[in-house]
Amino acid sequence: MKHVLVTHADEPLGRRIIKRLFYDANVTSIFALGDGPAPHTFDRFLSGATPRLSYARVDLAKHRPMNDLFHSTRVRDAEIDTAIFVPRHGAPASPSDPLVAGLSERTAEARLLLQQCLESQTICNLVALGSAFVYRLPPGNANRLHEDSELDLDPDVSPEIRSWIDCDMIFHGEVHNDRLRVALLRLPTVVASGGYVYLNPFMGERAGWRVRSLGYDPICALVSDKDVARATQAAVHSTVSGIYNVAGIEVVPLSVLAGWTGRHSVSLPGVLLSALDRAARLLGREAVVPSLERLRYGFTLDTRRAEQELGFHPAHRVGLARAGDGTLRLETAGI
Amino acid sequence: MTTSDWHPHARGNENPALGRDPFAEEVSIDPYLERLATLRQSEAPELRKQVESDSRPRPDWAQRTVKKPPAARSRRARTPTVGEVVIPEPSGWVDRWLGEDVRRRLETLGYMVEGETPYDRFGFSPDVARNAFPWFQALYRHYFRVRSEGHEHLPAEGAAVIAGNHAGLLPFDAAMGVLDILQHTDPPRLARAIVDRWAGSLPWINIFYARVGQVVGTRENFADLLDDEQLVMVFPEGMDGIRKTITQRYRLQHFHVGFVEQALRAQVPIIPVAFVGSDDQTPILYNVKPLAKRLGLPVAPITPTFPWLGPLGLLPYPVAYKIVYGEPLNFHQRFGPESANDSRLVRYLANQVRRSVQLLLDRNRS
Repeated sequence: MKHVLVTHADEPLGRRIIKRLFYDANVTSIFALGDGPAPHTFDRFLSGATPRLSYARVDLAKHRPMNDLFHSTRVRDAEIDTAIFVPRHGAPASPSDPLVAGLSERTAEARLLLQQCLESQTICNLVALGSAFVYRLPPGNANRLHEDSELDLDPDVSPEIRSWIDCDMIFHGEVHNDRLRVALLRLPTVVASGGYVYLNPFMGERAGWRVRSLGYDPICALVSDKDVARATQAAVHSTVSGIYNVAGIEVVPLSVLAGWTGRHSVSLPGVLLSALDRAARLLGREAVVPSLERLRYGFTLDTRRAEQELGFHPAHRVGLARAGDGTLRLETAGI
Repeated sequence: MTTSDWHPHARGNENPALGRDPFAEEVSIDPYLERLATLRQSEAPELRKQVESDSRPRPDWAQRTVKKPPAARSRRARTPTVGEVVIPEPSGWVDRWLGEDVRRRLETLGYMVEGETPYDRFGFSPDVARNAFPWFQALYRHYFRVRSEGHEHLPAEGAAVIAGNHAGLLPFDAAMGVLDILQHTDPPRLARAIVDRWAGSLPWINIFYARVGQVVGTRENFADLLDDEQLVMVFPEGMDGIRKTITQRYRLQHFHVGFVEQALRAQVPIIPVAFVGSDDQTPILYNVKPLAKRLGLPVAPITPTFPWLGPLGLLPYPVAYKIVYGEPLNFHQRFGPESANDSRLVRYLANQVRRSVQLLLDRNRS
């Protein structure tokens, strides 16, 4: 029986994972952490005399609140044995916030959670969700990548990608820890019914125009948010540690993904994109594109290790379907 | 197969392009291995010591042979035979021109992607391939007038590496090879041609290549294709092949060895293939190397028509193609997957493939 802690439970991926674990008979209690108030979807989980779900607001990137939380009676009584690191989706609410100890918010959160897990007497499992955009991409419309493929350690990589790589390496460093079992799941673009896209640096939550590199249409590996929850559940119950690529069956070009999710995209020459990026940096603005290379070269993931060791097989298809209002939009459906 | 089969003189060739086979006196390749073992133990102890004491971490692909991952669970449906495919009535002159047999074969392209997805994991799109096919079929039938033989050596199922010569600036040899294999196998098979990384960085071209089934040649991609039991077409000369000048026509350049490593790791045969005609399609008189280097191009050619006619000068001449498939080289029956880490053996086997392709070329040029 598991007692699980989930970070960023108020965000879409976190909510999906909480829902999945709530109906898991082998999970006794769930301790959810989030930035904001408890989502309304948790109301039914939080009701009752002794609810299986507890929710707490905490700034995961700050040392003091995290320390206080993990040393509180409430958490100690919960006897948490498994922590799930769900990363923040997209940029922080106010990008101008100062960095935490020189690190991005996401990296600071990963570091603090790992530190608390290592210090905790009860936590012996850590499941972390990472991004597959950490890999170095050789030229090519589609590159098949496995877990041992090279990471992009280029010092000029954009801060967004850098934060993913930093998180990845923080967890990777503890994969062989004897006391704490660490399973790191590298996820490609996560999609959800209704055309929502998560963990893709080019397709954040904000609406608006997206830029693409003229003459390139990289292949994007997709995974449904429901499959992410299933993979997380499988990692929680497994006894193995390591890094696992998790992806669905479908792959689509970036232009098709933009069309399916209702995002308008415009293709610009690479020279112009580089010039715009340079100008934005000079003006102290956010980069126009997180990574020109990733706008050009696509990847798909070799998921055999997750299939063999975690027993995870994608069970949801991603495609276009007609919604109730008659519009075609991205939907995920069970196979 | 004996080394005398490899030796150009053994077939009465007057002008062997590759010179004399140093192992021609031997009756099999076993003596080579004996020599290799002897060399390791006695002739070069220092070298051996140096290699054995090398504690540098080996690249992960070299380690992969130790524990080969089981084959991926294939999500592709079985490709039906030509007779099993049901096609609609021809709807236009293009359909009638293609003919029923070709249309049936094109219909099977849809079975070559996983499930019902519109793209496979390397970006191949059956719809795009079907639309592009008639254009290349016109080149196949009327422009290059392709003749081919040796189809019995192409496996009906299972993975194999098809290694051939490469020439002619633009890779029409690969396109004709893919079309030829699709039209002479039953169930139809789509050979996945491995393209240079440079091609993967070219705007628009990278998209087109991926959509018609070509794959950028990284080790992971190559291994994954073989694991998925696909036919992989490779041109081991690489860029050296396409920048051959007219004086080097039909003389194979240095072969890269990665394809032999991958074939040994996946334990699949290598089928040599000769493309006769591709060396004549765009004869390069001179390669302006400094200009190519400055422009970041693999070649800056001067041909009888380029740059005099502008980009049109790069178009190939309407030479007749002849594609000849040789007998499969079943190195995997003799050498296990761990042999892929033996660089000298891999180099030797790559040279054997090179000789085999050269022999096919020399025999069929006339």
